[in-house]
Amino acid sequence: MNTNLKISNVTKIYPGCVANDNVSLEFNSGKIYALLGENGAGKSTLVKILSGIIIPDEGKIYLNENNLNLNSPSDAKKNDIGMVFQHFNLFETLSVFENLIIDSDEQRESLREKIDLIMKKYNFPIDLDIPVLNLSAGQKQKVEIIRCLIRNPKVLIMDEPTSVLTEQETSELFLSLKKFSEEGILIIYITHKLKEVMQLCDEVAVMRRGKLVSVSEIKNENIESLANKMVGQNLKTIKKKKAKTSSDQLIKITNLNFTSEDPFETNLMDINFSVNRGECLGIAGISGNGQSELFQVLSGEIISEKKSIEFNNNYIGDLNPQERREYLMAFSPEDRLEQAAIPQMKIFENVALNNFKSSNFFNNGLINENKIKEHSKKIISDFNVNTDNIELKSQFLSGGNLQKLIIGRELITSPDLLICFNPTWGLDVGAINYIHETLIKINEQNKSIILISTDTDELLKLSDKISVIHKGKLSKIMNAEVVTSEKLGILMGGAN
Amino acid sequence: MIKILKRDQPSKAIFFFTPVLAIFLTLVAGGLIFFILGFKPFEALKFFFIIPIADKYGFSELLLKATPLCLIAIGLSFCFKSNNWNIGAEGQLTFGAIVSGGVALLFYEQEGFYILPIVILAGAIGGMLYASIPAILKTYFNTNEILVSLMLVYVSKLILDYLVVGPWSNPEGFNFPETRQFSDSAKLPLLFEGLRIHAGIFLALAAVVISWFVFYKTYLGFQMKVSGFSLKTAKYAGYKGKKMIILVFLISGACAGLAGVGEITGPIGQLHREISPDYGFTAIIVAFLGRLHPVGIIFASLVVAITYLGAETAQIFMQIPKYTGQVFQGMILFFLLASDYLLFFKIKFIGSKK
Repeated sequence: MNTNLKISNVTKIYPGCVANDNVSLEFNSGKIYALLGENGAGKSTLVKILSGIIIPDEGKIYLNENNLNLNSPSDAKKNDIGMVFQHFNLFETLSVFENLIIDSDEQRESLREKIDLIMKKYNFPIDLDIPVLNLSAGQKQKVEIIRCLIRNPKVLIMDEPTSVLTEQETSELFLSLKKFSEEGILIIYITHKLKEVMQLCDEVAVMRRGKLVSVSEIKNENIESLANKMVGQNLKTIKKKKAKTSSDQLIKITNLNFTSEDPFETNLMDINFSVNRGECLGIAGISGNGQSELFQVLSGEIISEKKSIEFNNNYIGDLNPQERREYLMAFSPEDRLEQAAIPQMKIFENVALNNFKSSNFFNNGLINENKIKEHSKKIISDFNVNTDNIELKSQFLSGGNLQKLIIGRELITSPDLLICFNPTWGLDVGAINYIHETLIKINEQNKSIILISTDTDELLKLSDKISVIHKGKLSKIMNAEVVTSEKLGILMGGAN
Repeated sequence: MIKILKRDQPSKAIFFFTPVLAIFLTLVAGGLIFFILGFKPFEALKFFFIIPIADKYGFSELLLKATPLCLIAIGLSFCFKSNNWNIGAEGQLTFGAIVSGGVALLFYEQEGFYILPIVILAGAIGGMLYASIPAILKTYFNTNEILVSLMLVYVSKLILDYLVVGPWSNPEGFNFPETRQFSDSAKLPLLFEGLRIHAGIFLALAAVVISWFVFYKTYLGFQMKVSGFSLKTAKYAGYKGKKMIILVFLISGACAGLAGVGEITGPIGQLHREISPDYGFTAIIVAFLGRLHPVGIIFASLVVAITYLGAETAQIFMQIPKYTGQVFQGMILFFLLASDYLLFFKIKFIGSKK
């Protein structure tokens, strides 16, 4: 029997962000569909709506012409929609079998037979009686898939399933998914990995900033065209005036490595680059390729070998962020609400987070509130933060104003180098332009920038040199004048 | 119809209102329990909450019970504000009492103004040492501080048990499980003739002022505040998160240790098996009821102290078991947590339209 799933005019609005903007899509069984987009593009929101976790503000879901009311995950299960999440929902200390029967009301014995059949059919050799914690990531994912298959789903949604898998496990997964598809299960595959889309899927829907950008057949696409759609076409490149070339080296990174114990982090391998005074080095890449780790290594949140970072003729690899600030470095992290600022604290308290000796924010261990407040007022007026109340809790600032406050806090000390990570992520056009102008201005003052961003337009607009990070490795550094977004797209997809 | 809506932002008025609401609901539920047990609810509540503090002696007893509660809760507020769940203050109190009691016994039959400060200091250090165990295990070995600090409570009580029965028991004490009485030089001075209220109350008040000053006025306090809200931000700002964790445990242990000193060098005057009616656990309720704020904690410690006194009065006059006091303490926490729901959600009554 054919399955037809239709998403009709779905809209979901969060305060300050439209996660899904009037999205309509249609899927038919027999094909594998890719839902492609960067982090924050709205794909996760869309599949959470399909699996009943999020209730849309507007729009309807139809399965075989029936309007579905998906108010909870169990509604989705009842309607034969199964979902395998990126992070597993398994009880580590229970056995595989116990995990599988937890949300089923079938008899244990008949269920066991059914599971055995499924495992035989799809060649999933898993011992049902060992605890889940002894399984590999690939095996855990199989347990999740079996949990869906028990219910004979019509639709199976896979959310970024390969992020924790090895190459071999990935190809095994692809074989299984193709088999499911042949048997009439409608597969929706969510990813930001272009290669996988080309390998596995038949049709691809691309989302960007909450909107559906395109739906097309894979045979009409290639990695570049998809990359362009995903990160946004290079509409207009207003490049900044070429800064006067300086050969005065400010920061040099030599043979920098970082190995993480966390499987969800990316290891950095043999990073080498240097930035001269007055220069902006852009680092492009699809999110999740090591940008966050690179930012932390540069800011000092992750300490590295002393000699791996040379700044202004000092070796600073082993210094923490506060100590690096003393050398006139400044940092603007990606996460405004959980890292760069504390929403529950007042504006002037957030300003005090950028503290170093000459700031005099804290004298003899006491808070110098007057000094901090004076400084805060200056930031607010110099950087156009739209409030005059420095006692306001910063959670009441819009994203744009909060980012202006953060950039202002970092820049008012006239640092020699600003390292920023996705500085305009999620902001409106006005705020984006303001931040861009500010960043151009610092370069004109002969100060340097390292701009890590997933926004290709932004990088082409602001950078003097560009490199691409892919799986924790940097590409060679290119002159921004000769780089096109197509070329970046190819490098971001992992090609050489 | 009733509709529950999420608030856009937690309400500040509700933040201070919920503790009051929780106390009110506790009184209502308490009255109901008395009624079911066959007592007149208002009369029983009067025996519980008014009679005990109606005279000067009663009021001084209230301050006597509130002192350790306040002191411990102030210390705990440092931990709780920075998301460190030290629930072993009872153990830190006991260990502080053991160390200071040991020192006081060393000075048995000696006199001197210097003895008391040494005894007090020893108690604070004992509490800190004991609190450093869960802190170090948490920061360097990733253990869960809730479990470790809780289990250490029983260890310290058993140590105390062993000491008062064995090596430290009073040689002239007819094998009672208690030590010698401390010398007067090792005892906190009484404030009024005939009342048990002692100078320990000044320790508690000093803790209130100092904790307010440290937390709201110093760089150290600022770092603790930031680390409590977000370790990620603390890392980004370059603060030493692990040291902050150990520090808040030490502060909290010192306060609990001082509370222990206050008990044994104040009303008790020696070490025996029961030096604390679970002040260390009850102070957790006090800390939350006082919204982790120094001034709030003063009021909360007074409110919760009444339940200790009320339980005794009610037992004497109405033959209600004194464990009713613990029931009341439990109800306060229960209702406080329940009414905190209102911080994040508002209830809207929508008139039914036909």
